[in-house]
Amino acid sequence: MMKFPIITITAGALFAIGFAAGSTAASAHHSVQMYDMQKEVTVSGTVKEFQYTNPHSWLLVDVKNDDGTSTVWGFEAEGPGILMRAGIMRNSLPAGTKVTVTGHPMKDGRPAATWVKLEMEDGTEMVPRAQR
Amino acid sequence: MAVAACAAAILSVSSEIALAQIKGRAMPEEVRKHETEMQALGESFDTAWDLYQHFKKEAKGGTIAPEYSKLPDWSGLWERRDGPFFLDPEQTDFNAMPPVELTPEYKKELEERLKRYAAGDDYDPISVCGVPAGYPRFMVEPFMREFVPTPKQTWLINEAGNEVRRVYTDGRGHIPPEAAYPLYEGDSIGFWDGQKLVVHTSQIKGTVLQRIQPRDSDKAETVEIWEKLDDNTIKVDLWIYDSEAFVEPWFSQQYYRKIPNEDGLLRIHFWACAENQNNVITKTDEGGSTFTDFTFTHKDDKTPKAEQKGQDSQSMPWNEDNK
Repeated sequence: MMKFPIITITAGALFAIGFAAGSTAASAHHSVQMYDMQKEVTVSGTVKEFQYTNPHSWLLVDVKNDDGTSTVWGFEAEGPGILMRAGIMRNSLPAGTKVTVTGHPMKDGRPAATWVKLEMEDGTEMVPRAQR
Repeated sequence: MAVAACAAAILSVSSEIALAQIKGRAMPEEVRKHETEMQALGESFDTAWDLYQHFKKEAKGGTIAPEYSKLPDWSGLWERRDGPFFLDPEQTDFNAMPPVELTPEYKKELEERLKRYAAGDDYDPISVCGVPAGYPRFMVEPFMREFVPTPKQTWLINEAGNEVRRVYTDGRGHIPPEAAYPLYEGDSIGFWDGQKLVVHTSQIKGTVLQRIQPRDSDKAETVEIWEKLDDNTIKVDLWIYDSEAFVEPWFSQQYYRKIPNEDGLLRIHFWACAENQNNVITKTDEGGSTFTDFTFTHKDDKTPKAEQKGQDSQSMPWNEDNK
């Protein structure tokens, strides 16, 4: 349960984008100007759907609000070709999986962000731009 | 270093554009020497075709349609070694002009585009599914690649957008002028010089070489020399001639590294760009980019709390700066 997502603005956030060679797919197909790359949002919830698609995948997370309602957050990541290299498979995040996800949020306030990292209940981390 | 460069670039988005030539980053002396020599060689010829003929003469006509056994082994999956934002791996400044002298019209266009980028209005023509990066931008795109030499054709494949370049090495010439028209991947012919593939490409459809790189024009023609340096490295010497966009030919060295794939899990699949509504991008009135309607929320969800069902995103901290 959360009133608002946790927002942090850190220097580390700047480096979390992962612009090392070959890890830039999130920005290779379209501009990232719709995201505030200097801010981070972290939400906890359950996976609603993992859209494992090109050119980008979307992880939809159901986040419960304090008033009992819920908000679906979308986290954009790379397509399957790069996610597989990070060990993130189509079935890695089935619906109902409890996750905490951090990303750079949309500037316009819509509940979407570019996926920087994800942590599962058992502590397993998933970073879309990690590579073989 | 690439990460630091990116951070620096982000931090400088609101700063004035540094319209200066790049200073370059540390580059091995022999690589820099090669770059200097090849740039000079390029400048000594008026056209890409003349340079191509020079290499053909040096190779004593080269080899046409060699037997399979004579072809190099370029098998496996490859990716660009350097980041995808700059044609020249030496460039690291997101706000700088590239290391090529542009004609006034193309210089002005890039300056204006860099200013929009610095102001946060950034749009990529390939955001529209169905529009490929095209060649020469093909050379800088990330994602997995396959390079497949066969006697009469070599296929240069990029996972992104299902792009395939075909280099004909069966002795044919280019498409005759009366049948030619601008093509996203151009029309490529080549010959083998030992284990090196020498390529001439014409009929290129002009477009941006990346979002923060110059445009080329429909007059662009190129020469490439592809060579495998070791088991994990393929290098391409690339000359771009474009009398409309560039004052002089632009030489750069493109490197591709092999992607570890011992278990064979990684494979190039069909890239269905339009399969997910959530990836649809539109161009804003200011010339920037934004998503259209997500499937999981409406585009107006940022405004009314009732519609947002419990979360008034207008009051979110990251919107405070925009009020």
